[in-house]
Amino acid sequence: MKILRTHWALLAIAAIIPLLDPLLPEAWQIADLMRPIFIFAILGLGVNILTGYTGLLNLGVAAFMAAGAYTYAILTCDIYPFQLGFWPACLVTFVVGIMLGVVLGLPTIRLRGDYLAIVTLGFGEIMQDVLKNLDVITKGTQGINPLPYPTFFGYRFTTDAYLPWYYLFLAILAVLVLFNRNLQRSRIGRAWVSIREDELAATCMGVNSMRMKLLAFAIGAAQCSLAGALWASFLGSSGEPGNYDFQISIIALCIVIVGGMGNLAGVLIGAVVMMGFNSIVLEKLSLFLKSHGLVSSTNVFTSPGNWKYLAYGLALILMMRFRPEGLLPSRRVKAELHREDES
Amino acid sequence: MSLLEVRELTVRFGGLVAVSRVSFQVQPGEIVSLIGPNGAGKTTIFNAITGIHCSTEGKVCFQGAEICRWLQPLAAAGLAAVGLLTAIVLTLLLNIQSLWETAVSHHYQYLQPFPWDAAARSFIGFFTDQPGPRVILPGLIGLALGLGGAASVWQRARRAPEVAARAGLARTFQNIRLFKQMTVRENVLIGMDQHLHTKLWDAACRLPRFWREHRDATQRAEEILRFVGLDKQSDTVAENLAYGHQRRLEIARALAAQPRLLLLDEPAAGMNAAETTALMDLIRRIRDKGITVLLIEHHMKVVMGISDRIIVLDHGEKIAEGTPPEVCGNPKVIEAYLGKSDAAA
Repeated sequence: MKILRTHWALLAIAAIIPLLDPLLPEAWQIADLMRPIFIFAILGLGVNILTGYTGLLNLGVAAFMAAGAYTYAILTCDIYPFQLGFWPACLVTFVVGIMLGVVLGLPTIRLRGDYLAIVTLGFGEIMQDVLKNLDVITKGTQGINPLPYPTFFGYRFTTDAYLPWYYLFLAILAVLVLFNRNLQRSRIGRAWVSIREDELAATCMGVNSMRMKLLAFAIGAAQCSLAGALWASFLGSSGEPGNYDFQISIIALCIVIVGGMGNLAGVLIGAVVMMGFNSIVLEKLSLFLKSHGLVSSTNVFTSPGNWKYLAYGLALILMMRFRPEGLLPSRRVKAELHREDES
Repeated sequence: MSLLEVRELTVRFGGLVAVSRVSFQVQPGEIVSLIGPNGAGKTTIFNAITGIHCSTEGKVCFQGAEICRWLQPLAAAGLAAVGLLTAIVLTLLLNIQSLWETAVSHHYQYLQPFPWDAAARSFIGFFTDQPGPRVILPGLIGLALGLGGAASVWQRARRAPEVAARAGLARTFQNIRLFKQMTVRENVLIGMDQHLHTKLWDAACRLPRFWREHRDATQRAEEILRFVGLDKQSDTVAENLAYGHQRRLEIARALAAQPRLLLLDEPAAGMNAAETTALMDLIRRIRDKGITVLLIEHHMKVVMGISDRIIVLDHGEKIAEGTPPEVCGNPKVIEAYLGKSDAAA
């Protein structure tokens, strides 16, 4: 029972961090830097449905995120005629994500494992190329900007105050965690896990594996697209197509693997570890080193910003060696990986 | 009318004939055993009946009808919808650049109100202007792609294991195939899945409908687990169960599907004497519930003890059929198991 509630505890901690922030010295204030964590946690939730629950290895998640970001940008930016508000645009992005998931899911429905991974990898690359070359609509490598700030019942978000953003993203994340938890503990989540465990046995029991896999694709892709939309609204720009490269897909997958496959709290922890290291630890470290005159911009090795992928790689190797089930594994994965210990 | 009728069933893998023209029937309420030396084709017959192997000749009829999905109006509408959607998406995708220029860029002045009606007219005009290359060609290609793809997927799904399961056939596997990381109760609930109807939104929002079905299903799962004697372990992860209990759980999972016919593939494999006796008792109790049982078994004590009829296979062909005493005395059966005696040769 303890692990099942961990995700609420994590969200509650996230909710009080900004309140504690003013009490801390400036070097320890982190609330301002936490928004990417929330967005990548939402991305991780999408990947968790596809890879964590259903066992469909998807290496093209960045394509869903890119589609979400660009859809949101086209719908809100004032260089286009649509100019929807934040909420309707998010809703449309969610629906576009569902459709994109089905479009990718339908032709790949019979692929599994490595084969599916390669097809989705290709999908990710195609999406970048399409966005780059369709410059009438996507403005090519410029990206679409500036995007208007979101509004909430007449309140306008601005870049000056980060707190409203913080709680906006946290609230959306909390709603999605609730959504995922409810699905996980229902007939649908059970069917997804059974397909991951043994697809043949599941179909022999009457589980409609085709429909369930399509559903996983649709819902996973929709959440990834929503993460893209939030990312675009956070940056105030769709970003350029190259931002949504293979790197993003891998980071999203690492969030799920490092945290613990198939576990919501694990996804949240994974996002904190992967993105927190990048946007908080390295950031603070370089500020600290700079203020003490320990780094020079000429030496690339001493600049913490360059340690990102080195640390990711190291973290993955250490994880796989010492804790392959992830930081917060679901009891199921733990049971499988540690069965020799018990007997 | 017999419950299951296998008529002239042949299964080939390339040049290898695994099962050759086997026919038999199973009557409601019977316990029928399928025996034979290793490699005789017993499991292949099970796989052919449950739709895992599709490349078969001959017929498998269940309750008088072939186990097969027919083209229902809803499925046909689905196929047509996929075809049409692909056509529309392809048409839009192939024209998207010039379409956007005509309908959007051309009409929109920065920060001026957008003339939606004019844009809609241009949108339609774009297609009616040159319908050949812009609509008909991509539309037809998309329709062909979508319909073809959907039809081939549907064709493969016609005889899928899931169809047999929904018709009322449930099976266990020779090498246990439980959902190892799920709990015992969840395994049984998966077996029940075809009888559950919770929709996505009911589950996501936890509407009363979800709770009602959740309660009923959990209760039924407990009943089934009590029936096979696993009710004390319902929260254990399936993999941590003892071997004999895993076999029982597989039977419980199959029972949860509420089958008319239960196919057991070597249920007594790896069991000790006490477990075997308990298993025989369980199989009898399953039959008493009105479920017909077809089983594959090597354990002669089980086969002779509970079968109403026995079907003997060798090298993919049926060599004998009858009650246990008849089969025991059949010279062909003795030959298949022990070889010819010198005197006969």
